[in-house]
Amino acid sequence: MWAINLKVLGVVLGTLALYTLIANKIPQVQSEVPRALTLGADVTPEQLVAAGEQVYQGAGGCTTCHGLGTRAPNLLTDAKGQGPIGARCGRREPGKDCKSYLHEALTQPGAFVVPGYEPIMPDMSRTLSPQQIWAVIAYLEVQGGTVTVSASDIPAETPGSRPGSAGGSGPGLAGGSTDPMTVIHAAGCVGCHKIGTEGAAVGPDLTHVGGRLSAAGIREAILEPDAKITKGFENFAGIMPKTIGDQMTANQLEALIRFLAARK
Amino acid sequence: MILQAVVDSLPAYRDFPLIGSRAAVWIAAEIHLMFAAFVLGVPMFAVVAEAIGIFGKDQRYDRLAKEFTRLLLIAYSATAIWGAVLTFLLATLYPRFFAYLTAIFGVSMWVYVSIFFLESFTLYLYYYGWDRWKYGRAKVGHWALGILLNLWGTLVMFIADSWLTYMMTPPRDVTPDTAPGSIKLWHAIMNHTWMPINIHRLIGNVVFGGAIVGAYASYRFLAAKTDEERAHYDWMGYVGNFIAIAALIVLPFAGYWLGREIYQYDQSMGITMMGGFMSWLWVIQAFLIAVLFLAGNYYLWVGMGRIPGAERFRPYTKWLLAVLVLGAIVWGTPHTMIADSRELAAMGGSHHPFLGALGVMSAKNTAVNLMILTTFLSFLLYRRANSRPVVPWARTGTRIQGGMFGVAAAIVLFYGIRGYFVEAIVRIGYSVYQVGAVLSCIVFVTVIDVLMGRGAQSLGAIQWGKMPPRSQYALFILAVTFTWLMGLMGFARSGIRQHWHVWQVLPDTTKYAATPALGQAAIMISVCVLIFLALVGFIFWLGGLAEQSTFVPPPPPRPPAPPPAAGKEAQHVGH
Repeated sequence: MWAINLKVLGVVLGTLALYTLIANKIPQVQSEVPRALTLGADVTPEQLVAAGEQVYQGAGGCTTCHGLGTRAPNLLTDAKGQGPIGARCGRREPGKDCKSYLHEALTQPGAFVVPGYEPIMPDMSRTLSPQQIWAVIAYLEVQGGTVTVSASDIPAETPGSRPGSAGGSGPGLAGGSTDPMTVIHAAGCVGCHKIGTEGAAVGPDLTHVGGRLSAAGIREAILEPDAKITKGFENFAGIMPKTIGDQMTANQLEALIRFLAARK
Repeated sequence: MILQAVVDSLPAYRDFPLIGSRAAVWIAAEIHLMFAAFVLGVPMFAVVAEAIGIFGKDQRYDRLAKEFTRLLLIAYSATAIWGAVLTFLLATLYPRFFAYLTAIFGVSMWVYVSIFFLESFTLYLYYYGWDRWKYGRAKVGHWALGILLNLWGTLVMFIADSWLTYMMTPPRDVTPDTAPGSIKLWHAIMNHTWMPINIHRLIGNVVFGGAIVGAYASYRFLAAKTDEERAHYDWMGYVGNFIAIAALIVLPFAGYWLGREIYQYDQSMGITMMGGFMSWLWVIQAFLIAVLFLAGNYYLWVGMGRIPGAERFRPYTKWLLAVLVLGAIVWGTPHTMIADSRELAAMGGSHHPFLGALGVMSAKNTAVNLMILTTFLSFLLYRRANSRPVVPWARTGTRIQGGMFGVAAAIVLFYGIRGYFVEAIVRIGYSVYQVGAVLSCIVFVTVIDVLMGRGAQSLGAIQWGKMPPRSQYALFILAVTFTWLMGLMGFARSGIRQHWHVWQVLPDTTKYAATPALGQAAIMISVCVLIFLALVGFIFWLGGLAEQSTFVPPPPPRPPAPPPAAGKEAQHVGH
């Protein structure tokens, strides 16, 4: 009987040890808690890059999609002979230098989507502070290029600069402009929606959206994008950010709704 | 206001000596959950076994059901004790978070304990009334008590699920500024992942119950002193394994639904789960499921050694094994994973050639569907091993069955290969066709087999008990693997909240807020599994100490008894 007990114990312990060993042999990645970053006025490029790497590899969660795989462009290795992101970022969008392009990609990801990829990049200003975002930009610039981010780009940290703290009470998008097309561009809507000749055909075409949705329906689609999914776009449910409405002032939101509802 | 003042005066956190508050709550929650799965899965098993006993007029199933219900009595106490440990730890180590949950779910917690009370007394009635309500209508009434027991258990689980799913996917209108007391209870319960988790756990509990029954039977088989006893526990192990594997086949579809709901709720949460810091977890999961498939099939193949007539199918097992191994290799190939710049440089680019070809969804879906088909084929061969159909259309029927397997495999392969040439959105839809083909094959082939088996000629009774001991260790490996897998999936579900108690509503600000890497999680899971299995072993031992097994040796035969393995327990031809 003891022999059977020992054999059973051996099988149980052996199985547990095998699974534990395998799980410890694979790459170990811990999901870090985002930490506040304080960068002084005399911050050096090296300090920026080091801080950016920490955010990129950790709290930013960038490697989730920009790691190995096909979900998003890999930023640390060569792409089609153009070099890593620091070497190719200045040629991505006409008229935009590397720093501006990377800042736009992080804070208005829908404004320009690299051809061949889906617009799944979230607005990083929701989860990272401006200091963290500029540090990541410096880290990306140094991947095949040189750092152009300096202390003058980085705003001083204030309670309001923390992610998510702006809410709907801030100045809104594009400095509070109520011109609908300015708001549309600032919110990055054309990254996914077509309006007239502009935009991509990932989400429903908004050219004649007023013909199929009332003003109330448009408001709901902006504030609660997953409440009703347009037929044929079920597989894209969840992609539209749920905070676009929060980023606008009330005036901007109403101007946008009136503008879209009139497009019959 | 007084309540709010009390809550505000609470410390946010306290620490637990030596292992820390997170590890303490992790162990308590995990072991409570494992016992909960046990006391929810085994009654399902018991009530089905009792029904087969009543309606199939096979007393063995009735005895089997009673034997497990006896073990439930002790297991219920263990579940309640670990539940109390978890509650006290949460209330003392995470007082503000606990107060937050009670402010929303307080009423449901009262309902929970009331139903648990009803459930416990239904169990006492069910067990202690077993021999009193043994015949006729009273027996059916007793069976109804078993159904009621399952109903209470399911309700209890659904309520507890609402608390944990709220933490994962709180309603979208709940923000950090929302006062918990203002959140309507039903609104919080009906969150995005509540029903998918309910269904996933319901099926998972059946799998778990079957696996634990299999492990119990295998231990009793190894310890058996007579051939009759060995035959009884061999049969019990087969039944447990069959239920576990049959339910396991359905489980991935419930998991797919849950994953889809997580993506729909929050794309970034879904990506974190499948492609973020948890991406390697799915490689480990694939390895574990490969072990389950291989061990389950191995048990069936070895079991064919005790079935007269099975030798004609033996040459096929090596091909079945080949399909399972190849499928496991493909399924375990990682797709998206985190790699730093040094690793990427060492790879020579962002894509490893193997990962590009085999790590994609098309290859994985094809592999897992073919593994399910292969397992079903193993079971079918086992089922038909000792019978020869006599219906006039038997040959045609077998050909139709073969054709169905061929068509299902062809559909799986066709959409698997075509998936490489279409966009992701189209490719996702292909999995429905693949799953549909496999499930249709399983249903229609089974129906044909049942009809074809009517009046089938027996090639000899199954010689229950004539199993090599090594086959029983496969059942142990199955039970340990199921339990470990449950811990791993629990880590995945809970870990995707990352540093939030309630996702994007209530942050975890303790020093334990970072979600640990898989290695540390694996150590925690193994510790929990070990404690759980040790306690289950103790419960089984207690069960044996308090009362003899419900196995009743056959009365002394007149005229002289047949050889032991061909006794009453071994005469059964069917499965």
